[in-house]
Amino acid sequence: MATPNPEFLRFTGHESFTQRLVLSTLTGRPIHISQIRSSSPTHPGLAPHEISFLRLLDSITNGSSVQISYTGTTLTYIPGLITGSVTTGLGATGDVVKCALPETCRRGVSWFLLPLSILAPFSKAPVNVRFEGEGVITSATETGDISVDSVRTAILPLYEQFSILGAKLELRVLQRSCAGPGGKGGGGVVELKFGSQVRLPKTLHMNRSPGRVKRIRGVAYCTGVSASNNARMIHAARGVLNPLVADVHVAAQYDQAPLVSSHDKTNPSGKKRTGVGFGLSLIAESNADGVIYSADVAAPSQGGVTPEDIGKKCAFQLLECISQGGCVTRIGAPTVLTLMAMGSEDVGRVRLGRDVVGTEEIISLGRDLKKFGASSWGIRDAEDDGTGDIIVSVKGIGVGNVGRKVA
Amino acid sequence: MTATLGKRKRSAAVVSKSEEDQRSSSPGSDSSLLDAQEIFRRHFESQFKPLPVVQKAPAAIEDGPDNLSDANSESEWDGISEAGEGAVEVIEHSDAQSHMAAMPKEELKAFMSSKPPKSTPTPSLIRDKAGISIADDDDSETANLKKDLALQRLLAESHLLESASNPTLTGKNRHKATDLRMQALGSKTSIFKQEKMPMSHRKGIISKQSEREETRRREARENGIILERAKMKPKKNSIGQRDRGVGAPSVGKFTGGTLTLSKKDISDIEGPQRGVNSRGGGRVRGRGRGKRP
Repeated sequence: MATPNPEFLRFTGHESFTQRLVLSTLTGRPIHISQIRSSSPTHPGLAPHEISFLRLLDSITNGSSVQISYTGTTLTYIPGLITGSVTTGLGATGDVVKCALPETCRRGVSWFLLPLSILAPFSKAPVNVRFEGEGVITSATETGDISVDSVRTAILPLYEQFSILGAKLELRVLQRSCAGPGGKGGGGVVELKFGSQVRLPKTLHMNRSPGRVKRIRGVAYCTGVSASNNARMIHAARGVLNPLVADVHVAAQYDQAPLVSSHDKTNPSGKKRTGVGFGLSLIAESNADGVIYSADVAAPSQGGVTPEDIGKKCAFQLLECISQGGCVTRIGAPTVLTLMAMGSEDVGRVRLGRDVVGTEEIISLGRDLKKFGASSWGIRDAEDDGTGDIIVSVKGIGVGNVGRKVA
Repeated sequence: MTATLGKRKRSAAVVSKSEEDQRSSSPGSDSSLLDAQEIFRRHFESQFKPLPVVQKAPAAIEDGPDNLSDANSESEWDGISEAGEGAVEVIEHSDAQSHMAAMPKEELKAFMSSKPPKSTPTPSLIRDKAGISIADDDDSETANLKKDLALQRLLAESHLLESASNPTLTGKNRHKATDLRMQALGSKTSIFKQEKMPMSHRKGIISKQSEREETRRREARENGIILERAKMKPKKNSIGQRDRGVGAPSVGKFTGGTLTLSKKDISDIEGPQRGVNSRGGGRVRGRGRGKRP
């Protein structure tokens, strides 16, 4: 595809990989990323999950092109139009784009879901993507990804504030899976249906007090291990949380471990169970509108932890998240800030905890946004109380669906 | 009298605790509060070995001798917990299952569906015609009427919510509720009634229904449960009342261009004969159009 503006934005390193690709796709600016793990002697270049994400981008856009160097340490990406799931290209059957993740994938499927759902409102057609294959981990992972339950219960509700209909969003978990042996691979099947496309997402004003936590919900999941682990996790978490909030309810979800191919040369049709484990996802809803805190802990793939530990840890993580304050958590802030920056040309304000703003990812997001031509953030203290929260004002650059069609 | 006694007892127990605290904090201060029991105790201790520390009943101090029996009973009871016992070993038996409070089914369904859960609370189920829900604290006349209606409906339809498969008023239950409301409004037939079916099926269904109803009544009677009154079976319509077509003769049977009158018809038309019907009170029987004598 002939590029209207061939000057590349140059980045280095593999950090915030998806974020840069998303911003590039939304703004239409081609990017060039170099020195991707160039110093690693054993695994230089792009990791399997990053390649999978590039494939996914390729299948939901039209006219994008990706060039990867031989060693995989350099990447050139020229974005196309976000068409959604009407493509007839690679991996598309019907109107569902299938995204197969390889066995070597170490990241949870939420690593794909979060950037994908940022792109989806700007798409031309609804985005239906089905993640499958031997690398789909639906649980939280040790690499820091949240579980699909947290994506559904804590991240997707944030979109409603941008006038994106929550009723048209759907995140269906057809098969659950924890991380497989060595933290690699799973066997889950997850389907994201993002049926609400807007011309221009509205900005939001969440500069009020985040309110008080009124109820705590959650999902405890077990795949392939005894379902009593659910009860033990829930019990431990309630032991911590119940003295603080009375309204604590955690749903329990038990599934069989997924079957994947055993990769046995002598028995090609052999199957094995993988992705055994358990975990807990908690959300705390505040009495202020749309304020949701979340926490996620899963058992490590090598095992050796008790469900009580996981439950307690998750409860403490939730308490820590609540103590950080603000209206949006560290997990949700990139989504909210990106949508505000890409949305209508209007100044929106969002109140974030000081510790949330101070994280590396938010700072790098701010820098990246600036590099892609968005206006800088205005940052000031919320002086109404002694919480030390920070109000970030973000001006949108008016990237909308129409802009995508013209480009 | 017993009620007041009980009350006093309770208050006495409360007082005893605080009193006991006071006592333990300042053991010398209670010398002024000596009562008869205390004097007896001192006397006893001077002669024999000291009694174990017994929580005294301060109710007696406050209420005087009229409450002495209460105080005695309490001191007996308090004797069980002795100060000389060793530290109590605490065994915490955490039963994971017992503390798992389940989410309400409705909420669980909403929360675990594939859609993002609604953060807003579930709206009130009482809605007005425009679909606007009525706040629970709305006290106006119309709101009250609507609440009344909702309550009546809930009472009438609550048995539908008992089914395990579908505990909501949706799906099949909604149709059942609609049917109930229609019948309450005077609908003759149920929307669930199948109009055409083989006679044998219909007979089977009806006999099964009546049999079931009969068993229910019998079992209720045997168990001494009083049921609602049995509905009276509708009387079989007599032939005379049957629906005749428009333009058809009101008497007799018209076939093949001939009006056929049966004997009964004729006698109806003629009316009772005077000579024969001597013992009758002159009452006209039948519903013929015969002239009255």
